[in-house]
Amino acid sequence: MRAAKLLQYAFRQWKPAAKEVLGHSILLAQFFSLLHLTETYICSPTLVYGPSMLPTLNLTGDVLLVDKLSLLLGKVGPGDVVLVRSPQNPRKCITKRIVGVEGDTVTFLVDPARSDRSHSLVVPKGHVWIQGDNIYASKDSRQLGPIPYGLILGKVFYRVWPPEDFGPLGQ
Amino acid sequence: MGMERLQELAPFVKEALHQTARVANALCFLHVANTYLCSVAKLVGPSMLPSFNHGTFVLTESITSRLGKVGSGDAVIIRSPEDPRKVVTKRVKGVEGDVVSYVLDPSKSDEQKTIVVPKGHVWIEGDNIYESRDSRHFGPVPYALVQSRIFLVVWPPEDFRSIGKTAA
Repeated sequence: MRAAKLLQYAFRQWKPAAKEVLGHSILLAQFFSLLHLTETYICSPTLVYGPSMLPTLNLTGDVLLVDKLSLLLGKVGPGDVVLVRSPQNPRKCITKRIVGVEGDTVTFLVDPARSDRSHSLVVPKGHVWIQGDNIYASKDSRQLGPIPYGLILGKVFYRVWPPEDFGPLGQ
Repeated sequence: MGMERLQELAPFVKEALHQTARVANALCFLHVANTYLCSVAKLVGPSMLPSFNHGTFVLTESITSRLGKVGSGDAVIIRSPEDPRKVVTKRVKGVEGDVVSYVLDPSKSDEQKTIVVPKGHVWIEGDNIYESRDSRHFGPVPYALVQSRIFLVVWPPEDFRSIGKTAA
């Protein structure tokens, strides 16, 4: 009898607090949803590292802004530095430059550190040819083959870290 | 005089904005659910007969593909490697490391070819190999192009059933 009354009293005490917590949680969820939508469809920051894009990008890591809107509008083309999902490991993303799109004939050095041999091919429909700026230390379309356009995640257009390299990424 | 009219309209405008915000909220939630959980799709074309007829509505889920657990026998919706704006429905016949044997042109010859599916790729084929453009034509497809897995047929009602790992 007393327990029931105690429970009733506790419920009446906590109800406004619980309501406030719920309200704040919904607000937080809405904020994170908006952040997530912006990151997925408009623009998102990414940390990239590795030697394959020297001297454009640093070895020890740069934070880049990736523009996803131009991908949705179909405005990604040759000369753009793009973030693509690796065809060998679907959990990994790689950063390279688009050298040719479907229909282009690309000529490339197969293994520049060892020989001068070059190879030419036509990029098939629905694919792009990507190469790192540092062709001596880059695993790109020369080894992986042409990459389906559907694997491109976005176009890199700005660098925000390190501070001495802050600025737009050129062609 | 104009200010009075504006003041009259203010509550209506407020109400309209409020309702628009609620609709936008609901649409956002629907979009997130579709992209990350479960969605409806209409299948077209003859390439998955007899499993899926042209005009069948199915439920698809994106959880399995994101966890990397899409395997042999799953019917999946995958972005076409030939046209990035198109999505196609096919069945996964082999994952990375599998040895796949396929008949290139069954209406013309019985010749079989064998291939090992490279790392990070899947081999997809339509259930109707006579009328399907799939990995036999454009090669193994990177796993990251898999969008979602079909698990339930919802329309037409006589076809209502869950989808397993066999062509039926």
